[in-house]
Amino acid sequence: MAGVIHKFLFASIAMWITPIVILYGFNHHIFPGSSELSSSSVTLISGFLAVISVNVVIVLYIVLAMKEPTNPQHQPDPSFLAAAKASINQPMSSASNSEDAVIREKTD
Amino acid sequence: MTTTSSWSRALTQISPYTFASIGIAISIGVSVLGAAWGIYITGSSLIGAAIKAPRITSKNLISVIFCEAVAIYGVIVAIILQTKLESVPSSQIYEPESLRAGYAIFASGIIVGFANLVCGLCVGIIGSSCALSDAQNSSLFVKILVIEIFGSALGLFGVIVSIIMSSQATWPAKSG
Repeated sequence: MAGVIHKFLFASIAMWITPIVILYGFNHHIFPGSSELSSSSVTLISGFLAVISVNVVIVLYIVLAMKEPTNPQHQPDPSFLAAAKASINQPMSSASNSEDAVIREKTD
Repeated sequence: MTTTSSWSRALTQISPYTFASIGIAISIGVSVLGAAWGIYITGSSLIGAAIKAPRITSKNLISVIFCEAVAIYGVIVAIILQTKLESVPSSQIYEPESLRAGYAIFASGIIVGFANLVCGLCVGIIGSSCALSDAQNSSLFVKILVIEIFGSALGLFGVIVSIIMSSQATWPAKSG
């Protein structure tokens, strides 16, 4: 269960950071070759690369999530199971004590 | 300046910056509305169905990721549009070029906002029934995921058209 949340958080954060980094890089001319593009092609290229990067992160997350091993049976929680078994054993002994007490009263 | 007033005069006298700013606000505001709507619909079904079938949680978070992608498309377009806002001197504010740029940014924001609104809603409802049917019968998951991929393509169309629309929003050059 912890692995599921880690993967989900990592994918969510990557989904936010990647397009913003791409947009920032193109607008502030950090990427090589982005300074000689016209303003309209900067918008087009940075926008499409950002959208493609979001979709790449989604596809990676789908691949990771489908590879999880699935338990076909519902596994009950072991501590809950142990407590349930202990509570079954206890009234059996108190029920047999009360039956003995009734039998003793009748014979008395 | 004539003193006749009409609706067309009123509309054309609104500054293009008003339209541009409203477009940017709609692009992120309405996109996040759609994404939030989708996430709460699918999240509540997912948590409820996971009571009896906890194995569904790992795969069905994909629906939540699709809804979140819708919000991110709104953020991307808002960042692009705000880099397109430039100041022009007040003598050129009602030039046809200025009006065109202001209206292009406004339309770009509306396109992405409303496309993402319905896309988020669509993916949310599909994701909720995906969780419920996966809990019952796990072979149905992949089939419903295909429908969800088609649903999230709607938001993608909105983003693509909005980026193309905003790329040609150029303000008049400052000519003194």
